[in-house]
Amino acid sequence: MRQPGAYSGLLAGGISGKTGPHSLPLARIKKIMKNSNDEVKMISGEAPIVFSKACELFIEELTKRAWMMTLQAKRRTLHREDVASAVMNIDIFDFLVNLVSENSGKSEDPQPVTEA
Amino acid sequence: MKKILPPNAKISKEAKEIMQECASEFISFVTGEASDKCHKEKRKTVNGDDVCWALGSLGFDYYAELMKMFLYRNREAEGDKVDNNQNIKAAVSYTPFSFNVMPG
Repeated sequence: MRQPGAYSGLLAGGISGKTGPHSLPLARIKKIMKNSNDEVKMISGEAPIVFSKACELFIEELTKRAWMMTLQAKRRTLHREDVASAVMNIDIFDFLVNLVSENSGKSEDPQPVTEA
Repeated sequence: MKKILPPNAKISKEAKEIMQECASEFISFVTGEASDKCHKEKRKTVNGDDVCWALGSLGFDYYAELMKMFLYRNREAEGDKVDNNQNIKAAVSYTPFSFNVMPG
């Protein structure tokens, strides 16, 4: 049986339950959205569903990048530092730098200290 | 994660945990941007379009384009369902000719 590609499947799917359960729990996504910002008061029904799909793409990309780090280190087990390395290497993942640095116990100082 | 990696790949528990945290942070980050937009436009509800806009604004252009198409397709699908229901109601209430009382 021909398997649809990741993205064709993404676009062919629908919001309704006919296409099956969502990968990520919508209630939890909604909770994270509400907790992110005091200004978030109301969330439309489609927003968590969009995030569910967007998170799938995000996790897919970050996992692939992290796996590249794992392979470079000649390992077969993906570790936390591989995720951290992937985050450091991608500009759009800059918002995660503090998160992965805190977790690895390193204090990141992107600007080099130069003596006058 | 496992679906993306080769079958012989393993993922440490810590890697899974950090990935969960990263996903949560991603949602918070994009929601914050979407929420700011709503606030500036004096709207109370964050909708799918706001999320798509926020994704593009934060550098996730590829995701934004895909999500726009996804939203468009789903709105069409949902619209068809609504249309079917409304067509039934319209067929009952619609009168092609208005029977005006002729003055006279």
